[in-house]
Amino acid sequence: MAKYILTFSKTGTICYTSHLDMMKMFKRVFKRAGIKQSYSQGFNPHPKMTFAQPLSLGYWGLGELLEFETEEDYRAEFIKETLAPLMPEGIVITDCVVAEPSKKTLAAMTEAAEYIIAVPLHEALDMDGEEIYKAYMGRDKILTYKKQKKKKELAEIDIKPMIRDISFVTEDETLFVTALLDSGSTSNLSPELVITTLMECLKIDTDRSEVQVMRRKIYFGQ
Amino acid sequence: MRIDKELDNLLKKVEKPARYIGGEVNSIKKDPEKVSVRIGFAFPDTYEIGMSYMGLQILYNILNKNDDIYCERVFAPAMDMEKLMRETGRELFTLETFTPIKEMDILGFTLQYELSYTNLLNMLDLGNIPIKSSERDDSFPVIIAGGPCAYNPEPLADFVDAFLIGDGEELLEQVCLAKKGTASKEEFLKKISAFDGVYVPAFYDVEYNEDGTVKAYNKNWEGAPDRVKRAVISDLDKAEFPVNNIVPFIDTVHDRSVVETFRGCTRGCRFCQAGMIYRPVRERKKETVRRLAEEQIKNTGHDELSLLSLSTSDHSCFEPMALDLMKMCKEQNVALSLPSLRLDSFSFKVLDEIQGYRKSGLTFAPEAGSQRLRDIINKNITEEDIYGAVEQAIGLGWETIKLYFMAGLPGETYEDLDGIGKIAKNIIDINFKVRGRKGGRFRVTASVSNFVPKAHTPFQWAAQDTPEQFIEKHNYLTKKLHIKGVTFNYHETKTSVLEAVFARGDRRVGKALERAHQLGCKFDGWTEYYNDELWQQAFAETNTDIAFYNYRERSYDEVLPWDIIDPLVTREFLMRENEKAKAAKTTADCRQGCAGCGINKHTECFKGAELPEVKHG
Repeated sequence: MAKYILTFSKTGTICYTSHLDMMKMFKRVFKRAGIKQSYSQGFNPHPKMTFAQPLSLGYWGLGELLEFETEEDYRAEFIKETLAPLMPEGIVITDCVVAEPSKKTLAAMTEAAEYIIAVPLHEALDMDGEEIYKAYMGRDKILTYKKQKKKKELAEIDIKPMIRDISFVTEDETLFVTALLDSGSTSNLSPELVITTLMECLKIDTDRSEVQVMRRKIYFGQ
Repeated sequence: MRIDKELDNLLKKVEKPARYIGGEVNSIKKDPEKVSVRIGFAFPDTYEIGMSYMGLQILYNILNKNDDIYCERVFAPAMDMEKLMRETGRELFTLETFTPIKEMDILGFTLQYELSYTNLLNMLDLGNIPIKSSERDDSFPVIIAGGPCAYNPEPLADFVDAFLIGDGEELLEQVCLAKKGTASKEEFLKKISAFDGVYVPAFYDVEYNEDGTVKAYNKNWEGAPDRVKRAVISDLDKAEFPVNNIVPFIDTVHDRSVVETFRGCTRGCRFCQAGMIYRPVRERKKETVRRLAEEQIKNTGHDELSLLSLSTSDHSCFEPMALDLMKMCKEQNVALSLPSLRLDSFSFKVLDEIQGYRKSGLTFAPEAGSQRLRDIINKNITEEDIYGAVEQAIGLGWETIKLYFMAGLPGETYEDLDGIGKIAKNIIDINFKVRGRKGGRFRVTASVSNFVPKAHTPFQWAAQDTPEQFIEKHNYLTKKLHIKGVTFNYHETKTSVLEAVFARGDRRVGKALERAHQLGCKFDGWTEYYNDELWQQAFAETNTDIAFYNYRERSYDEVLPWDIIDPLVTREFLMRENEKAKAAKTTADCRQGCAGCGINKHTECFKGAELPEVKHG
């Protein structure tokens, strides 16, 4: 029995696979590699494997993390080398380490995530990065609507406290946003809400389908 | 794979974008510049359905093993994607390289069911390829089609350049290679029509009688064969079978490893097209099956294995093979699924072990409600067989029994329909008998489909029931099957009518198909998309008389539109079987003695099977 953390990137068209598709893909890759995962007990055993945070469909990810357990002990390097050539195009394994002994899962320790959002501009913005920051963050509150988990109704929320850091650069008719947002079970802010509020605030008419989102890194607390 | 911005934007707007991205494990990447022939293998339905079809995996594997051929996949985009593609001018593309399909050398459609024909036309249209053969010059890909529906190719004769009839394992590769260095479509079609199994409709003019029936097929190019013999691979055990199956990212209908154990069926059910056109039985040896299964599981990481054939238990070495696979699957944590088992004591032992606590439903297909009608259709299953098996199953803990029947079979009376109710009721009673008065959560589902006469079967001359007759029978059955614990389902009548028109239609029904396509019909097999009003309009505007195709009994003298295809089973055999049906006489399984269908004049029956006692006729 051993526990490992795998770091990988997900870029290109494969970003259109869902969280569950990725789970299934990894399960099969482990099987093909002959690496024996630990399975849960019960009528419907499933491999003990979780992502630190699910990555939304359509997002790219540079530092995605998968935590998993195996029946036997393997060298972390061996796992990385065995899995790497079996991955589909667009998934690159960058690291594999033995997980530090901890009662908490990566998902439970996740606190924040850094995203890069690229918004193509059909009309140039007459503002530099700092001015955009003032326009967007200068308000007391950034109000928007979010679907409630239980009631499924829209409720007004203020997302400003959940934005830990944000900066803006315009280049080649594209607005690049780097945003460090709350992420995880205690407080979570979806980049989608940042995108909608930002476009409202700056009166950008770009369609959502033109916007690219990449998660660069996931941050943990203790 | 990197794609252009516009396509990327489309993918962000559609449901299940992974349907359109390819790049799955074991999908093939080649440099298109380095091959001589590019073929798009097109499945006229969505990705999830097409990717569950084993024939695609078989042929994709064979073609791509050849360094000179690149086979890429094409599926019908779902409605939302199609809408966006049309709005933005995006042409239908292959999943491997996102190449527009009109840049392929050959585009090959598989015809699995008649209700996908409008999708075929729609896919050509989405690829900016003229739908009619006569309107495509040499700059367009050659459109070919194969699969079971190609055995009556005529409804698609105006649209498809060449049909491939029979086993595709050898033929399709030959056809692709023949494209090499052949610039003109005509030259290519002439070249391939020399192969067994290739039918080029343009080489024949059809002459009709005054009553609308076919008078003759007249060749307009002498080199064309008088009749097109279907292609047969004689040795299935040596035939190429994939072990590197493409593993979809998204859930598909069937997402599992599959090994075909044998092809063909010996039972001779008279309504069944598969039972006729896949003759003779050719088996894979159990060692080959085991090796293929092991390699597939290793290369795909699948956790389910299924066997493919028309009747799993009929493999000559089924018992040792099943036990061996069970052991292997258990060791590897793979679920084994054995469809279409004959329910004898061995099967129960196997099923009980592989399903454990999670028992699926048990399915029986008596097809007809009385012994008389089962004799007519030559379905050799008795009610005693069913009740015995059901009793055993209930004892072992099964709680769901599914029954399949057909309505509208030749010679059917309302007494036969009463029999359906009786069987369902008797099964409910058996449950009370075995498990006591309360009976537990036991359920019987009786599903009734509508009989559609198919080409190259003993019932190819038969009349189909009219919609009114079907509806009356459905209503009658609804009353008869109003039994506690029984669920009754029946198939939509309108689509059965449509299916029948194309199953036995001639070239002229192509006009209705074309009109229906123009009116926007597509995904006709999907209840939510089937539009009967538009289809009726298409039939009316093209003066297509449904009654002529569906509701009249044909005479043996009549030239049938599909007679141009030689299935290697003789017309005399089909006639003989049809006459025996009229007298309610059965024909024994041909393992018990040759029934004289004629296939053994062309190839060896039971090749690969361990059946020393079989008598050859």
